[in-house]
Amino acid sequence: MSRLFQFVRQWKPIIKEGFSQSFLIAKFLCLLHVTNTHVCTPVLVYGPSMLPTLNLTGDVVLVEHLSQKFGKVGPGDVVVVRSPENPRKTVTKRIVAVEGESVTFLVEPALSDRSHTVVVPRGHVWIQGDNIYSSRDSRQFGPVPYGLILGKAFWRVWPPDAFGSLSQE
Amino acid sequence: MSLQVFRHWIPTVKDAFDRTLMVAKFFCSLHVTNTFLCTCALAMGPSMLPTLNLTGSLVLVERLSIRFGKMASGDVVLIRSPEEPRKVVIKRIVGVEGDAVGNEEATAVVPKGHIWIEGDNKHNSRDSRQFGPVPYGLLEGRVFWVMWPPEDFGSVGRKVENISLESSAGCQKT
Repeated sequence: MSRLFQFVRQWKPIIKEGFSQSFLIAKFLCLLHVTNTHVCTPVLVYGPSMLPTLNLTGDVVLVEHLSQKFGKVGPGDVVVVRSPENPRKTVTKRIVAVEGESVTFLVEPALSDRSHTVVVPRGHVWIQGDNIYSSRDSRQFGPVPYGLILGKAFWRVWPPDAFGSLSQE
Repeated sequence: MSLQVFRHWIPTVKDAFDRTLMVAKFFCSLHVTNTFLCTCALAMGPSMLPTLNLTGSLVLVERLSIRFGKMASGDVVLIRSPEEPRKVVIKRIVGVEGDAVGNEEATAVVPKGHIWIEGDNKHNSRDSRQFGPVPYGLLEGRVFWVMWPPEDFGSVGRKVENISLESSAGCQKT
Protein backbone atom coordinates (compact mmCIF):
# COMPACT_ATOMS: atom_id res chain seq x y z
CA MET A 1 0.00 0.00 0.00
CA SER A 2 2.74 2.40 0.96
CA ARG A 3 4.64 1.39 -2.16
CA LEU A 4 1.64 2.51 -4.20
CA PHE A 5 1.63 5.89 -2.45
CA GLN A 6 5.33 6.24 -3.10
CA PHE A 7 4.83 5.43 -6.75
CA VAL A 8 2.03 8.01 -7.11
CA ARG A 9 4.02 10.70 -5.29
CA GLN A 10 6.93 10.09 -7.61
CA TRP A 11 4.89 10.41 -10.77
CA LYS A 12 2.53 13.21 -9.72
CA PRO A 13 4.63 16.19 -10.87
CA ILE A 14 5.33 14.53 -14.19
CA ILE A 15 1.66 13.80 -14.77
CA LYS A 16 0.78 17.35 -13.82
CA GLU A 17 3.33 18.68 -16.28
CA GLY A 18 2.02 16.32 -18.94
CA PHE A 19 -1.51 17.64 -18.38
CA SER A 20 -0.53 21.28 -18.57
CA GLN A 21 1.46 20.75 -21.77
CA SER A 22 -1.45 18.87 -23.35
CA PHE A 23 -3.78 21.71 -22.38
CA LEU A 24 -1.46 24.17 -24.06
CA ILE A 25 -1.45 22.12 -27.25
CA ALA A 26 -5.23 21.72 -27.06
CA LYS A 27 -5.68 25.49 -26.69
CA PHE A 28 -3.43 26.09 -29.67
CA LEU A 29 -5.38 23.60 -31.80
CA CYS A 30 -8.64 25.21 -30.68
CA LEU A 31 -7.41 28.61 -31.82
CA LEU A 32 -6.18 27.15 -35.09
CA HIS A 33 -9.53 25.47 -35.66
CA VAL A 34 -11.52 28.63 -34.92
CA THR A 35 -9.33 30.61 -37.32
CA ASN A 36 -9.68 27.93 -39.99
CA THR A 37 -13.44 27.75 -39.68
CA HIS A 38 -14.37 31.38 -39.27
CA VAL A 39 -11.58 33.48 -40.73
CA CYS A 40 -9.22 31.98 -43.27
CA THR A 41 -7.91 28.54 -44.17
CA PRO A 42 -5.63 27.02 -46.81
CA VAL A 43 -7.23 24.49 -49.14
CA LEU A 44 -5.65 22.10 -51.62
CA VAL A 45 -7.62 22.12 -54.87
CA TYR A 46 -6.97 19.78 -57.76
CA GLY A 47 -8.71 18.59 -60.89
CA PRO A 48 -9.29 19.89 -64.40
CA SER A 49 -12.52 21.79 -63.86
CA MET A 50 -10.99 25.18 -63.08
CA LEU A 51 -8.27 25.28 -65.77
CA PRO A 52 -6.60 27.61 -66.63
CA THR A 53 -7.22 29.50 -63.39
CA LEU A 54 -6.22 26.62 -61.11
CA ASN A 55 -3.80 23.82 -61.90
CA LEU A 56 -4.71 20.23 -62.70
CA THR A 57 -2.25 18.67 -60.27
CA GLY A 58 -3.00 20.82 -57.26
CA ASP A 59 -2.86 24.37 -55.98
CA VAL A 60 -2.97 25.57 -52.42
CA VAL A 61 -5.31 28.55 -52.12
CA LEU A 62 -6.33 30.68 -49.16
CA VAL A 63 -10.06 30.65 -48.54
CA GLU A 64 -11.68 33.30 -46.40
CA HIS A 65 -14.99 32.78 -44.65
CA LEU A 66 -15.94 36.35 -43.83
CA SER A 67 -17.38 37.38 -47.20
CA GLN A 68 -19.81 34.50 -47.16
CA LYS A 69 -21.08 35.36 -43.67
CA PHE A 70 -21.74 38.98 -44.66
CA GLY A 71 -23.35 38.01 -47.93
CA LYS A 72 -20.62 39.66 -49.99
CA VAL A 73 -19.97 36.74 -52.36
CA GLY A 74 -21.03 37.49 -55.89
CA PRO A 75 -20.58 36.69 -59.57
CA GLY A 76 -16.97 36.23 -60.64
CA ASP A 77 -15.79 34.94 -57.24
CA VAL A 78 -14.06 31.59 -57.00
CA VAL A 79 -15.76 29.80 -54.10
CA VAL A 80 -15.39 26.56 -52.17
CA VAL A 81 -18.77 24.87 -51.95
CA ARG A 82 -20.02 21.73 -50.21
CA SER A 83 -21.06 19.41 -53.01
CA PRO A 84 -24.85 18.97 -53.31
CA GLU A 85 -24.27 15.45 -54.58
CA ASN A 86 -21.88 14.22 -51.92
CA PRO A 87 -22.02 16.15 -48.63
CA ARG A 88 -18.59 14.93 -47.56
CA LYS A 89 -16.92 16.48 -50.60
CA THR A 90 -16.09 20.13 -51.27
CA VAL A 91 -15.71 21.52 -54.76
CA THR A 92 -14.18 24.75 -56.04
CA LYS A 93 -16.00 26.62 -58.80
CA ARG A 94 -16.76 30.15 -59.92
CA ILE A 95 -20.06 31.91 -59.26
CA VAL A 96 -21.59 32.87 -62.58
CA ALA A 97 -24.96 34.18 -61.43
CA VAL A 98 -26.86 34.84 -58.22
CA GLU A 99 -30.57 34.72 -57.33
CA GLY A 100 -32.87 36.45 -59.77
CA GLU A 101 -30.37 36.53 -62.62
CA SER A 102 -30.84 34.53 -65.77
CA VAL A 103 -28.04 32.24 -66.95
CA THR A 104 -27.46 31.07 -70.51
CA PHE A 105 -25.07 28.17 -70.71
CA LEU A 106 -23.84 25.52 -73.11
CA VAL A 107 -25.26 22.21 -71.97
CA GLU A 108 -22.63 19.94 -73.56
CA PRO A 109 -19.98 22.15 -75.21
CA ALA A 110 -17.90 19.18 -76.38
CA LEU A 111 -20.80 17.58 -78.21
CA SER A 112 -23.10 20.32 -79.45
CA ASP A 113 -23.85 24.02 -79.53
CA ARG A 114 -27.14 23.64 -77.69
CA SER A 115 -27.61 26.27 -75.01
CA HIS A 116 -30.17 26.59 -72.24
CA THR A 117 -31.39 29.52 -70.19
CA VAL A 118 -32.36 29.29 -66.55
CA VAL A 119 -33.40 31.84 -63.93
CA VAL A 120 -31.58 31.30 -60.65
CA PRO A 121 -34.15 30.85 -57.84
CA ARG A 122 -34.19 32.81 -54.56
CA GLY A 123 -31.45 31.90 -52.11
CA HIS A 124 -29.39 30.02 -54.73
CA VAL A 125 -26.29 30.64 -56.87
CA TRP A 126 -25.17 29.23 -60.20
CA ILE A 127 -21.61 27.88 -60.19
CA GLN A 128 -19.53 26.74 -63.14
CA GLY A 129 -15.96 25.58 -63.56
CA ASP A 130 -13.75 27.75 -65.77
CA ASN A 131 -13.04 24.68 -67.91
CA ILE A 132 -16.58 23.98 -69.10
CA TYR A 133 -15.46 20.96 -71.13
CA SER A 134 -14.42 19.06 -68.05
CA SER A 135 -16.43 20.31 -65.12
CA ARG A 136 -19.34 18.93 -63.14
CA ASP A 137 -21.21 21.99 -61.90
CA SER A 138 -24.59 23.71 -61.89
CA ARG A 139 -25.11 22.67 -65.51
CA GLN A 140 -25.44 19.13 -64.20
CA PHE A 141 -26.71 19.45 -60.62
CA GLY A 142 -28.63 22.72 -60.88
CA PRO A 143 -28.42 25.92 -58.83
CA VAL A 144 -26.85 25.50 -55.41
CA PRO A 145 -28.32 26.97 -52.19
CA TYR A 146 -26.26 29.86 -50.81
CA GLY A 147 -26.01 28.00 -47.49
CA LEU A 148 -23.64 25.46 -49.06
CA ILE A 149 -20.98 28.07 -49.85
CA LEU A 150 -18.08 27.60 -47.44
CA GLY A 151 -15.80 30.48 -48.43
CA LYS A 152 -14.19 32.57 -51.14
CA ALA A 153 -10.76 31.69 -52.55
CA PHE A 154 -8.81 34.92 -52.85
CA TRP A 155 -5.08 34.12 -52.90
CA ARG A 156 -2.94 31.32 -54.31
CA VAL A 157 -0.05 30.19 -52.11
CA TRP A 158 1.37 27.21 -54.05
CA PRO A 159 2.93 26.64 -56.64
CA PRO A 160 5.31 29.52 -55.95
CA ASP A 161 5.51 30.70 -59.54
CA ALA A 162 1.74 31.30 -59.47
CA PHE A 163 1.74 33.03 -56.08
CA GLY A 164 -0.74 35.89 -56.09
CA SER A 165 -4.34 36.93 -55.99
CA LEU A 166 -7.06 35.12 -57.89
CA SER A 167 -8.35 38.12 -59.78
CA GLN A 168 -11.72 38.21 -61.45
CA GLU A 169 -12.00 37.30 -65.10
CA MET B 1 5.02 61.32 -10.72
CA SER B 2 2.99 60.12 -13.69
CA LEU B 3 4.98 56.89 -13.55
CA GLN B 4 3.75 56.34 -9.99
CA VAL B 5 0.12 56.71 -11.08
CA PHE B 6 0.84 54.20 -13.83
CA ARG B 7 2.34 51.69 -11.41
CA HIS B 8 -0.67 52.17 -9.12
CA TRP B 9 -3.05 50.96 -11.79
CA ILE B 10 -1.07 47.97 -13.07
CA PRO B 11 -2.51 45.30 -10.70
CA THR B 12 -6.07 46.46 -11.44
CA VAL B 13 -5.48 46.30 -15.15
CA LYS B 14 -3.88 42.87 -14.82
CA ASP B 15 -6.84 41.68 -12.79
CA ALA B 16 -9.31 43.00 -15.36
CA PHE B 17 -7.32 41.33 -18.13
CA ASP B 18 -7.30 37.97 -16.34
CA ARG B 19 -11.02 38.09 -15.73
CA THR B 20 -11.73 39.05 -19.33
CA LEU B 21 -9.58 36.16 -20.51
CA MET B 22 -11.54 33.79 -18.25
CA VAL B 23 -14.85 35.03 -19.64
CA ALA B 24 -13.48 34.68 -23.17
CA LYS B 25 -12.38 31.11 -22.48
CA PHE B 26 -15.82 30.30 -21.12
CA PHE B 27 -17.51 31.68 -24.23
CA CYS B 28 -15.07 29.78 -26.42
CA SER B 29 -15.92 26.47 -24.77
CA LEU B 30 -19.63 27.34 -24.93
CA HIS B 31 -19.26 28.04 -28.63
CA VAL B 32 -17.41 24.78 -29.24
CA THR B 33 -20.11 22.85 -27.36
CA ASN B 34 -22.81 24.61 -29.33
CA THR B 35 -21.18 23.94 -32.66
CA PHE B 36 -20.09 20.34 -32.17
CA LEU B 37 -22.20 18.78 -29.44
CA CYS B 38 -25.52 20.22 -28.48
CA THR B 39 -27.30 23.56 -28.66
CA CYS B 40 -30.70 25.14 -27.96
CA ALA B 41 -33.07 26.58 -30.47
CA LEU B 42 -36.33 28.47 -30.24
CA ALA B 43 -38.86 27.08 -32.70
CA MET B 44 -41.77 29.26 -33.75
CA GLY B 45 -44.49 28.97 -36.32
CA PRO B 46 -47.29 26.63 -37.28
CA SER B 47 -45.45 24.28 -39.61
CA MET B 48 -44.52 21.64 -37.03
CA LEU B 49 -47.79 21.42 -35.10
CA PRO B 50 -48.65 19.35 -33.13
CA THR B 51 -45.06 18.33 -32.36
CA LEU B 52 -43.88 21.89 -31.66
CA ASN B 53 -45.87 24.91 -30.50
CA LEU B 54 -47.08 27.80 -32.61
CA THR B 55 -45.86 30.48 -30.22
CA GLY B 56 -42.48 29.01 -29.42
CA SER B 57 -40.83 25.84 -28.15
CA LEU B 58 -37.35 25.63 -26.72
CA VAL B 59 -35.70 22.53 -28.15
CA LEU B 60 -32.34 20.82 -27.71
CA VAL B 61 -30.45 20.11 -30.92
CA GLU B 62 -27.60 17.63 -31.15
CA ARG B 63 -24.92 17.95 -33.79
CA LEU B 64 -23.28 14.56 -33.67
CA SER B 65 -25.70 12.62 -35.87
CA ILE B 66 -25.02 14.78 -38.90
CA ARG B 67 -21.28 14.32 -38.71
CA PHE B 68 -21.60 10.57 -38.49
CA GLY B 69 -24.21 10.44 -41.24
CA LYS B 70 -26.81 8.91 -38.94
CA MET B 71 -29.79 10.98 -40.07
CA ALA B 72 -32.74 8.88 -41.09
CA SER B 73 -36.31 9.19 -42.20
CA GLY B 74 -38.51 10.46 -39.36
CA ASP B 75 -35.90 12.67 -37.64
CA VAL B 76 -36.88 16.23 -36.81
CA VAL B 77 -34.02 18.39 -38.00
CA LEU B 78 -32.70 21.93 -37.94
CA ILE B 79 -31.88 22.93 -41.51
CA ARG B 80 -30.64 26.07 -43.23
CA SER B 81 -33.39 27.31 -45.54
CA PRO B 82 -32.57 26.89 -49.25
CA GLU B 83 -34.59 30.01 -49.99
CA GLU B 84 -33.18 32.33 -47.32
CA PRO B 85 -29.63 31.40 -46.37
CA ARG B 86 -29.71 33.39 -43.12
CA LYS B 87 -32.77 31.55 -41.83
CA VAL B 88 -32.77 28.19 -40.09
CA VAL B 89 -35.98 26.13 -40.12
CA ILE B 90 -37.15 23.00 -38.32
CA LYS B 91 -38.78 20.23 -40.32
CA ARG B 92 -39.03 16.45 -40.35
CA ILE B 93 -37.10 14.21 -42.77
CA VAL B 94 -39.66 12.27 -44.80
CA GLY B 95 -37.29 10.71 -47.34
CA VAL B 96 -33.56 10.26 -47.86
CA GLU B 97 -31.66 9.71 -51.12
CA GLY B 98 -33.22 6.97 -53.19
CA ASP B 99 -36.60 7.06 -51.45
CA ALA B 100 -39.76 7.71 -53.39
CA VAL B 101 -41.82 10.49 -51.83
CA GLY B 102 -45.20 11.83 -52.69
CA ASN B 103 -48.82 10.93 -52.76
CA GLU B 104 -51.29 9.62 -55.33
CA GLU B 105 -50.99 12.72 -57.48
CA ALA B 106 -47.22 13.00 -57.88
CA THR B 107 -44.24 10.86 -56.89
CA ALA B 108 -40.58 11.84 -56.96
CA VAL B 109 -37.35 10.02 -56.20
CA VAL B 110 -34.99 11.86 -53.87
CA PRO B 111 -31.64 12.38 -55.69
CA LYS B 112 -28.24 11.38 -54.33
CA GLY B 113 -26.92 13.62 -51.59
CA HIS B 114 -30.33 15.18 -50.89
CA ILE B 115 -33.17 14.75 -48.41
CA TRP B 116 -36.90 15.46 -48.55
CA ILE B 117 -38.28 17.44 -45.63
CA GLU B 118 -41.85 18.24 -44.68
CA GLY B 119 -43.48 19.99 -41.77
CA ASP B 120 -45.80 17.95 -39.56
CA ASN B 121 -48.62 20.42 -40.19
CA LYS B 122 -49.13 19.67 -43.87
CA HIS B 123 -51.63 22.48 -44.38
CA ASN B 124 -49.41 25.32 -43.25
CA SER B 125 -45.82 24.46 -44.00
CA ARG B 126 -43.38 25.60 -46.66
CA ASP B 127 -41.11 22.63 -47.29
CA SER B 128 -39.80 20.26 -49.95
CA ARG B 129 -43.23 20.12 -51.52
CA GLN B 130 -42.61 23.73 -52.56
CA PHE B 131 -38.82 24.04 -52.88
CA GLY B 132 -37.84 20.49 -53.79
CA PRO B 133 -35.28 18.13 -52.23
CA VAL B 134 -32.63 19.81 -50.11
CA PRO B 135 -28.88 18.96 -50.18
CA TYR B 136 -27.66 17.06 -47.12
CA GLY B 137 -24.98 19.74 -46.61
CA LEU B 138 -27.61 22.22 -45.37
CA LEU B 139 -28.45 20.13 -42.30
CA GLU B 140 -27.48 21.78 -39.04
CA GLY B 141 -28.62 19.38 -36.33
CA ARG B 142 -31.19 16.91 -35.04
CA VAL B 143 -33.89 18.00 -32.60
CA PHE B 144 -34.13 15.37 -29.88
CA TRP B 145 -35.72 17.03 -26.81
CA VAL B 146 -38.29 19.72 -26.07
CA MET B 147 -37.47 21.80 -22.97
CA TRP B 148 -40.30 24.35 -22.97
CA PRO B 149 -43.34 24.56 -22.66
CA PRO B 150 -43.40 22.21 -19.68
CA GLU B 151 -46.41 20.28 -20.96
CA ASP B 152 -44.40 19.28 -24.02
CA PHE B 153 -41.25 18.40 -22.05
CA GLY B 154 -39.87 15.16 -23.43
CA SER B 155 -38.13 13.51 -26.30
CA VAL B 156 -38.97 14.09 -29.94
CA GLY B 157 -39.55 10.77 -31.62
CA ARG B 158 -39.50 9.53 -35.16
CA LYS B 159 -43.27 9.49 -35.53
CA VAL B 160 -45.78 12.32 -35.48
CA GLU B 161 -47.95 12.13 -32.36
CA ASN B 162 -51.53 11.32 -33.15
CA ILE B 163 -53.65 13.83 -31.28
CA SER B 164 -56.93 15.14 -32.57
CA LEU B 165 -56.80 18.48 -34.34
CA GLU B 166 -59.73 19.94 -32.41
CA SER B 167 -57.89 19.76 -29.08
CA SER B 168 -54.81 21.60 -30.35
CA ALA B 169 -55.02 25.35 -29.76
CA GLY B 170 -54.09 27.56 -32.68
CA CYS B 171 -54.16 24.76 -35.24
CA GLN B 172 -55.77 25.36 -38.61
CA LYS B 173 -58.76 23.21 -39.40
CA THR B 174 -59.55 22.13 -42.92
